[in-house]
Amino acid sequence: MNLHYLAPEIFLTLAGAAILIGETCWGHVRRGWISVACMSVVVSAVLVAGLPVSEGTVMGMMAIDGMAQYFKLILLAGVLLVLVLSSDFSGFSDTTVEKKTQMSWGTYSALVLFSTVGLLLLVSAKDLLLVFVSLEIVSITCFILTGYLKHSKRATEAAIKYFLVGALSSGLMVYGISLFYGVFGTTNLDVFVSANLDTVPRLPLVGSLLFVLAGLGFKLALVPFHMWVPDTYEGASTPITAYLSVAPKAATFAVLVRMMAHHYDINITFLLAVVAAVTMTVGNFSALKQTNIKRMLAYSSVAQMGYIFVGFVSAGDLGIESVLIYVMAYLFMNLGAFACVMAVSNQSGTEDIHGFAGLSERSFFLAMCTTVFMLSLTGIPPLIGFIGKFFVFAAAISHGFAWLAVIGLLNSVVALFYYFKVVHEMFFKSCVQPSRISLPTPLAGCVIVTLFVTVCLGTFPNILLTWVQGIIK
Amino acid sequence: MGVLSYITFIPAVGSLLILFVHSEKKSLIRGVATLFSAVSFVLSVWLCMNFDASGSAMQFGEKLAWIPAFQIYYKLGIDGLSLPLVVLTTLLSLISVVASYGIQNRVKEYFFWFLLLETGMIGVFVALDFFLFYVFWEITLVPMYFLIGIWGGPQKEYAAVKFFLYTLFGSVFLLLGMLGLYFASDPHTFDLIELAQQSQYFVGTKFILIFLALFIGFAVKIPVFPFHTWLPLAHVEAPTAVSVILAGVLLKMGTYGLLRISYPILPEVTSLFMYPLILLAFINIIYGAFCAMAQKDMKKMVAYSSINHMGYCLLGMAAITGANASAGIQGAVLQMINHGIITGALFLLVGVIYDQAHTRDINAFGGLGAKLPIFAGIMTIQVMASLGLPGLSGFVSEFLCFLGAFGQAQYRIWVVLSVIGIVVTAAFFLKMLKDVFMGGFNSKWEGVLRDMSARELVTTVPLVILTILFGVYPKLVLDLMDSTLTNLIQKVIGG
Repeated sequence: MNLHYLAPEIFLTLAGAAILIGETCWGHVRRGWISVACMSVVVSAVLVAGLPVSEGTVMGMMAIDGMAQYFKLILLAGVLLVLVLSSDFSGFSDTTVEKKTQMSWGTYSALVLFSTVGLLLLVSAKDLLLVFVSLEIVSITCFILTGYLKHSKRATEAAIKYFLVGALSSGLMVYGISLFYGVFGTTNLDVFVSANLDTVPRLPLVGSLLFVLAGLGFKLALVPFHMWVPDTYEGASTPITAYLSVAPKAATFAVLVRMMAHHYDINITFLLAVVAAVTMTVGNFSALKQTNIKRMLAYSSVAQMGYIFVGFVSAGDLGIESVLIYVMAYLFMNLGAFACVMAVSNQSGTEDIHGFAGLSERSFFLAMCTTVFMLSLTGIPPLIGFIGKFFVFAAAISHGFAWLAVIGLLNSVVALFYYFKVVHEMFFKSCVQPSRISLPTPLAGCVIVTLFVTVCLGTFPNILLTWVQGIIK
Repeated sequence: MGVLSYITFIPAVGSLLILFVHSEKKSLIRGVATLFSAVSFVLSVWLCMNFDASGSAMQFGEKLAWIPAFQIYYKLGIDGLSLPLVVLTTLLSLISVVASYGIQNRVKEYFFWFLLLETGMIGVFVALDFFLFYVFWEITLVPMYFLIGIWGGPQKEYAAVKFFLYTLFGSVFLLLGMLGLYFASDPHTFDLIELAQQSQYFVGTKFILIFLALFIGFAVKIPVFPFHTWLPLAHVEAPTAVSVILAGVLLKMGTYGLLRISYPILPEVTSLFMYPLILLAFINIIYGAFCAMAQKDMKKMVAYSSINHMGYCLLGMAAITGANASAGIQGAVLQMINHGIITGALFLLVGVIYDQAHTRDINAFGGLGAKLPIFAGIMTIQVMASLGLPGLSGFVSEFLCFLGAFGQAQYRIWVVLSVIGIVVTAAFFLKMLKDVFMGGFNSKWEGVLRDMSARELVTTVPLVILTILFGVYPKLVLDLMDSTLTNLIQKVIGG
């Protein structure tokens, strides 16, 4: 038994349980429990980084390879940022003042930690059963977190929509897994990866893959499985929206890559390519007419998933590298964008794009940071979003999907239009309330860290690229 | 790090410094901006003096590993093609910084973006790695968006977004072409020099598509009809100094890209496309000229005349397969420089009158020749240069472009027809001179208009001197680029 490889997950689970117990003893201390959770995430990240990487597995179910480590580290970084964001979100305190009820911060932090455990299991899962179980851990904690403001009707609506769609997708996935078991006699992905597919019956195989992919597609919010995204993102409190928009998606891509990396000859590649093209296009065009910044970012995240999916469809070493790079790029720039959104909406109390009006006069720093994140999401060099796009489309062109690259790049021109609606408000409009925006330290820290990653890794991506190439080889 | 890096990044350092200056200290901000762009300019002049014009190889080269994991290098260098453009960029930037002293609103942000823009522009001309070239190319877009959108005219916001969308549309095709070339090369490389060395393998349908992708990218910048519609709007709405940069430098990035990338790397395909190019040149010339003629707004007129003048440049470039290739290409590059100088000055001059009268309507003026003699004199020289009066710089380059294109028998009909463009240009510019400077003085402007101030003279007189100098003695520039361009022509013709 090599259970010590599970140390990060075990530690986080224990930390979450300890917080739950501790809360009953010491009560609701907002920053306190969040700090404890943050520290456990850091410890867990240290454990992940410290554990050796090998080609072996834990109980034949979990990979402990470089890719798992890569995803775990960026996910933990993302979770850390989300926790820090949560400590400053004013939406929470508003509700508590109004309703005279205490937000239960311990439970909140513990739920985030449990969800993180699910993510960590998911990225190393090598067995469809473990994929399913860990996906459910992530989903169920996310349902609760989405509806955590239980007095807010919007949040409840968001949670219910999310839950219904999530339940449906789980059902589809289980059905796919059962077909998979019927074909291979096991749920282990290693068997599938090394199988000679000419000897297996084609129809049930393709069927099972399509069902599993559809289930994962709901999590990724690929078109046509994206309907839940705008309402859920709008209703959930901003830190949770930020979390939903990056963490489960990044982890789901890990599963996709692990599952499909070696089998692109099953005649569904073209279908997947079409899904990527449609996802980008629908996401971007739907984002164009949004006036609520969270809804806009929701559709933008749909489109961004489409870009990453291009890399996945293109496959090959370069394709997988591009997925890994883009996932990381997306995680940091999107969290940065949400941090900026939170800073603004905390002050102005609105999540409308017009809330950004005149931001350059209220806080030039924040306006510049938002601009950088919007530029990065658009894919303008030398920012990390560009590096992601560059490699995704490089993969597409080198593997015969030049048409996908054309569609994707034209899409980024469309995307410019709505991302720059925000910039337009910030720099070209004058503000309604000319009060200065002051950033609380934790929030400023989040913005600075994400900005640093966005700019530095965008300008000097060699470190990242070497890391990722090392993983793939 | 060598001198080219310093020239490129000194403005960027200045822009970062400006961020740390308090926004109320306007003169300090202007001082910092002037200092950093002046240093960059002085260094580029030093470059000119130490440049060895006899060879066609890259000089002042720098190469550092940037993203070696994907064969991307930080590689800079200049030759006879890029050197004049670098000097043009630093000169016009310095002049524009001085011309921007009049900006009172959000000064800090203005100069921050302006210096960042300068770094991007210089970078485009010195980069020898396609990826690096692309990064600089894109860096120019963002500052320009803000410069137009914040400090521009009445329709500034629309103009800024339109500029950004159009040019980004072009850039994505550039990116596609770049990736296409990378994967077609063996070993894979982004190095423009190495790609040019592999050019004999770049034949076939795939490369026609790559050429077209690159061409769209460059054509939006030049701008070639039908991608030109962003230009009049952006030029007119932009503040004076930014119009100078737009017309003087940004448009040249497109033609420079064609000469630096498309021509030497895809010579086979380039020769195929020279006939369509001459048609586009013809359309640009005629269309630009007639549109300019219809304008009542002086700035719009100058903006449309840019489309017309870039048409001459294309005309010369299309001559590369003909008998007078050398004249054509030299004319084209000289036209880039001359157009930058002449049109830059014209935008400054229009700015001078607009700052005082707050209108640019040609019909609103009259008789200014007697009231503002210095302004009238300088304006007349620049207008004459623009319409191609012998003795001034515009004539030399336009003549060379026509001469070059005339060397190819099947182009002659288009060359002859293009001459109409010159006549129309002369017509609308002379009409403007007549309406503005002659006739009765509009008493509305009594006491409102004054002649040029010292600062305005400082910005325009150097350009006037250059206009005359290059008109009388164009050898000064031609010598710099002669061997580089000869080499380029051999490359394309020799295929």
